[in-house]
Parts: sequence; structure tokens; C-alpha cells
Amino acid sequence: MKLFKVAKREYLERVRKKSFLIGTILGPVLMGAMIIVPGLIFHMSPEGQATVAVIDRTGSLFDEFDQALADTLGDGTRMFTLQNIPFTGQALDDIRRELRFEIESDVLDGYLILPEDIVEAGRATFYGKRVGNIKAISRIENALSQAVIGRRLSGEGMDYDIVRVMLKNVKLETMQVSEGGEKRSEFGLMYITSFIFILMLYMTILLWGVAVQRSIIEEKNNRVIEILLSSLRPFDLLVGKIFGVGAVGLTQYAIWSIFALAISFYGLSTGALAQYVTFTWVTLVFFVLYYVLGFLFYSTLFAGIGSICNSDQEAQQLQTPVVMCLVFTLIIPMAIMQNPDGAFATVVSLIPFFAPIVMFMRINILTPPAWQIALSIAFLIVGIYIAGMVAAKIFRVGILMYGKRPDLREIARWLKQA
Amino acid sequence: MLEIKNVTKRFNGVTAVDSLSLLIEPGGIYGLLGPNGAGKTTTIRMVMGIIHPDEGEIRIFERSFDEKAKERIGYLPEERGLYRKMKVLEHLVFLGEIKGVPARVAHERAMKWLKKLELGGWEEKPVESLSKGMQQKMQFISTVLHDPQLVILDEPFTGLDPINTQLLKDIIDDLREEGRAIVLSTHLMDQVEKLCSKICLINKGRKVLEGPLSDIKMRFSKNVLSLRFSGERSDLENHPGVEKVNTFGQELSITLRSGADPNDILRHAVQRGRVERFDIGEMSLHDIFIAQVKGEGGEVEDEAI
Repeated sequence: MKLFKVAKREYLERVRKKSFLIGTILGPVLMGAMIIVPGLIFHMSPEGQATVAVIDRTGSLFDEFDQALADTLGDGTRMFTLQNIPFTGQALDDIRRELRFEIESDVLDGYLILPEDIVEAGRATFYGKRVGNIKAISRIENALSQAVIGRRLSGEGMDYDIVRVMLKNVKLETMQVSEGGEKRSEFGLMYITSFIFILMLYMTILLWGVAVQRSIIEEKNNRVIEILLSSLRPFDLLVGKIFGVGAVGLTQYAIWSIFALAISFYGLSTGALAQYVTFTWVTLVFFVLYYVLGFLFYSTLFAGIGSICNSDQEAQQLQTPVVMCLVFTLIIPMAIMQNPDGAFATVVSLIPFFAPIVMFMRINILTPPAWQIALSIAFLIVGIYIAGMVAAKIFRVGILMYGKRPDLREIARWLKQA
Repeated sequence: MLEIKNVTKRFNGVTAVDSLSLLIEPGGIYGLLGPNGAGKTTTIRMVMGIIHPDEGEIRIFERSFDEKAKERIGYLPEERGLYRKMKVLEHLVFLGEIKGVPARVAHERAMKWLKKLELGGWEEKPVESLSKGMQQKMQFISTVLHDPQLVILDEPFTGLDPINTQLLKDIIDDLREEGRAIVLSTHLMDQVEKLCSKICLINKGRKVLEGPLSDIKMRFSKNVLSLRFSGERSDLENHPGVEKVNTFGQELSITLRSGADPNDILRHAVQRGRVERFDIGEMSLHDIFIAQVKGEGGEVEDEAI
């Protein structure tokens, strides 16, 4: 079959490049770094010491708050150093101006105003430079809640020391249930692993899909196309190209899978990495499957774009909506992870544009009903078929057109003609 | 071998080829001539099945076009194109393979042709390291690698130096002797005169002139005389057989009316003055081409059609 000759050429041309090897090895490393580094920063930043000033307008809550905020760092020192700012005579605005100055000169990390009615109203305000530091903020909030609730309960006649014991927080440990039993799963860890997988899916689908588009434009520009078409059918050329380029991606997946399996076997056998291995061979199978389907779907779209454009610059304009669909799948993971079985996640994971990444993500977090997985695959296959039919028709006419890019009306005519 | 019957092709309302008919037989070189935009490339593309005619029929090897026919046709497009990063030999084998030649055979033949076209030693070099002329020769190899019975060459000599042009001409002539049918599309009239046995001139998608080269030249030659004459120019202009007289230095160039006998003119001239040279001039294909395309010499055109 001539189709495979084309595929073979496309495949070898890419696999032989040094950049392929480098990309294959560096890809996951970079992606891991991209996720782990911000994660590490996220985890580490609140671990530093913070100095917070407290303007306690109740005049009596400070000590209880100070006790409740007893989080310590790894070395046993207190995480938060609280300064009680006496609120006497001086105007509140003056105090705040001073504190603001201290924050700006990095003496203070923030200050807290506890209003007089905090026990009744349950409201306080924190002023700080880094209010985005969610962990630190939630710690402060927690401690303040404890102090306020303690005050309310002791107001009902309970002993404050008993109340403190009663208010001790529950630490929730999460376990993931999957084939082969239960294992400890930290949400953060699973988040990271899923995200590495998702980013790799995204990158490979985008990279190799666009590679198909570029290769079509290149052939148009260097006029090889005419020789090719005098030897084989446009359909063979298009499909051969998609298969060849797709196989390059599959090769990467094979290499990654081998590495991943080797690491997981090593990890499980030594026990050293056991808690970090959050994927199973089922994950890998779906990983490859959704790459294949996602690549086929997107590469046909990109092929259609490539066949009506004369240059990469021109194609960039047209490919934007398609790329946006892919980018969308990277914007929504948080929403999906919070409610992986919700209506939004379910619907999005069935739409062919998003299914490859979103459904894979859902499979990774929980196991959605089999019919949903089957349906997403079925929709994708139908999507590939329709995109393929349209792309093949555009391709047949478009690859021989040089010069002006056809408008939508013209493309519609080609579709009718062919 | 190749029969084009009343083929018409329109692009966006512009008729590129207008009910064109051609018949190409093996063992000859058929010159397909025409100015830019005449419809040559469109015609060739239709023969190659790259685009499809709106009307009419193309029969190749005594049957209507099918994909298999592509394997028996060699096509050198006017716009050359190769993968620049690929190695020469590998590239040729690939082009052979998509023409249905097994890799091993394609490999052998490519080696043979590379040697023949003085490209030996370049097998493992990337295409982009070849000079333009060398790439041209390489492209030519890809045209004949699958041993086609019909060879279509669109401007095969552009960019070649005289030595390589001669080399290629010899090879084209060999291909003809082996009984292949060759279609040569070109603007270079002197190449056509030397190579082609039969020509067809098309303009604006229509056939203007067709036939064996010798016939066509004969038909046009009768119409021009050149003459060195001591008498009065007006004496000749008054002859009923003379269409017009041009002076080139001492020589007169006389265009005859159709049907006029050059010998009548000679007799007439001898009676009125001294004739030092008399030549029934040959109109070069170049002049015929220009005359036909520009639509000059209306009577000539009438006679030709």
C-alpha cells in the first residue's frame, strides 16, 4: 500500500532527528518540573516564619488566638509570630498607617483587625502583602475560628480548656480505591501525576497535529505535492501522513511507558517509591488510547487547515480556534477535579474536542461508568470520521491551490463538489 | 497510447482548457507548445489524474484513466519539488516506491541512473546540498525510475547548462528509441525543432496548430521569400501574389498570398531587375509560434486550421 510508504517516510524523517530523542526524554522531565516546581513553591512558602500584628479591639481575644495558632515549622519553632498591638487612645487610622509602613518595609507580613463584635458577628479582616498564600491564610482563619468558637462556648458556661480539647481538628486521610486494593493517596500527589499525564497528552496532540499541518504546507510550498499526486491518490497521501506522524507520537509513548513501568516496578519492589506511583497499567492503556484518538481527531482538523493555507503564518490564524479547544482542556482541570462526576465534567468529557484529555483525566481521578468511557470513544471515532471526510475533500482541492486563500463560501463549494 | 477527447476544464468560470483533443502515439516525441497560461500544465495535470476534466474523456493505454495508469506514466512537473532534507538515493527509492516499484528494484535503478546522469557519489548526500542543475537531473531520474511507457516532461531544460542539456536530450532520444511515448512541453522552440516529430500548439486552452513538424514547417515556409534584387521594390509589391514586402538591408523579405507560386515571383523579378540571391525561406518554429499566438498573418492561421 502506497499509504504506508508515505507513512514510513514521514515517520523516519522525524524519528531520525536528534530533536526527537531530546524531546522525548526532556519532555516529561520538563513537564514534571513545570508542575512540581510551582507545587513545591506552593507547599514551601507558608513554611517560612511570618510575623503578624494583631489589633485586638475586643482587648481579650489575643491570647486565645495566639494559643490556637500554634502551628510549628519542621524544627519546632513557631510558624507565626504574633504581635499584640495595644489599641489605646490612638486613632485606628494612625496605627494602620504605621503598620502599612512596616509591611512595606518587610518588617511585618501582615496585620489582623479583630473587631469588637467578632464573637457575635464572626468577621475579621487580614491585611497583607501576600494575601494569595492560601495555606497561611487558612491557618489564621482556623485559629481565629477556634478562638472565637471557644469564646462563644465558654460564654455558655463551659471551661475553656475543655473547649479547646473538644475543638481539636480532625485530620482526614484520603485513600484511593482502585483495582488491586486501596492505597494512600494524597490529593496533591494525584493532582501532580494526573497533570503530568494531561500535559503530555496536550503537548503531543498539539505538537504532532500541527506537524501534520506544517508538513502539508511544506509540500505545497516546495511543490513536491505535484510529484506525489502524480503517483498516488490524495487520500493515500493524507492518511499516510497522519499515520506516519501519529506513529512518531506513539513511539514516544512507548518509550515513556517503558520508563514509567520500569520506575513503577522498581519503586514497588523496593517500596521506596510505592506511595508516589499513582498510575497503573490501565492508566497507561487509556493514556495511549486517548492520545491515538485525540491525535487522529485534531490532526485531521489541522490537515484541513494546512491544505488551504500557503504559509505557517497564515495557518496560525486559522488554527487558533482549534488550538483554543485544546487549551480549554487545560483550563478546566481544577473544575473537573473538584467534581469529576458532575454534569459539567461528564458532558465535557463526551465532546470529541475535549474528550481525549478530560475523559482521561476523569478516568485518572475516579473510574467513570464504563458506558461513559465507551460513549466518549464512540463520539471521538464518529468525530474523526466526519473530520476526516471534510478534511479529505478540502485537501483534494486545496493542496493544488496556490495564492489566495479560499473563503468559507469557496470551501463550502468544494465540499459539495467533491 | 494517450488520447484526449474534447476535454474541457474550467476554474471559477475561466476556461483553462477548451474542448481540446490530442492523440499521442508511442515512439515519438510530441511537442506541446503554447504561451504561458495556454493550458498546457492543466492539460498535463488532467492526464496525470491530479485534477479531473469537467467534460470530455482521457484514455491512457487504451482505457479510461485509473490509479494504476499513474504507475506507467512518468511526469516531470514544471515546478520542481523535492524534500530538501532527504538523502538523494533514499529520496529516489521513495519516489519509485510510490510508483509501485519494489524498494530493491528502485534502489538498483536509481544507482544506474545516478551514474548515467553523472551524479555518482551523491547518493548519501542530502538533496539540499545539490546544485540546482543536479536537483533537476535528480528530478528527471524520478520521472523515469519506474520505467514508464509514457513520459511527460514539462520544461525539462530550464536551469541546465549546455552540456547537461545535451546529455538530457540524448537520454530523451534514447527513451524515444525504446518505444516510449514522450510529451515535451516547452517554450524553447529550438529544442522542439531538434527533438519533436509532432507538435501541437495551444493558446487560450484551444488547439491552434497540430501536425508533424515537417508538414507544419513546409506549410509555413512557402509563404516567405528572401531576395537580393537590384530593381524597384514597388515592382514586386504590385505582383498579385505578394502580400507584403519588408526591406532588411539589401535583402527583401516577401510574404506571399496563399496559393501564390514562388517561381512566379522569381520570373517576375528577373524580368524587372537583377536577382542575386533567391531563397524560399524557412519560417522558424519560433516565428510560427509568435505569429500564431499573436494572431498575426490571418491567412496563415486560416490555412493552418
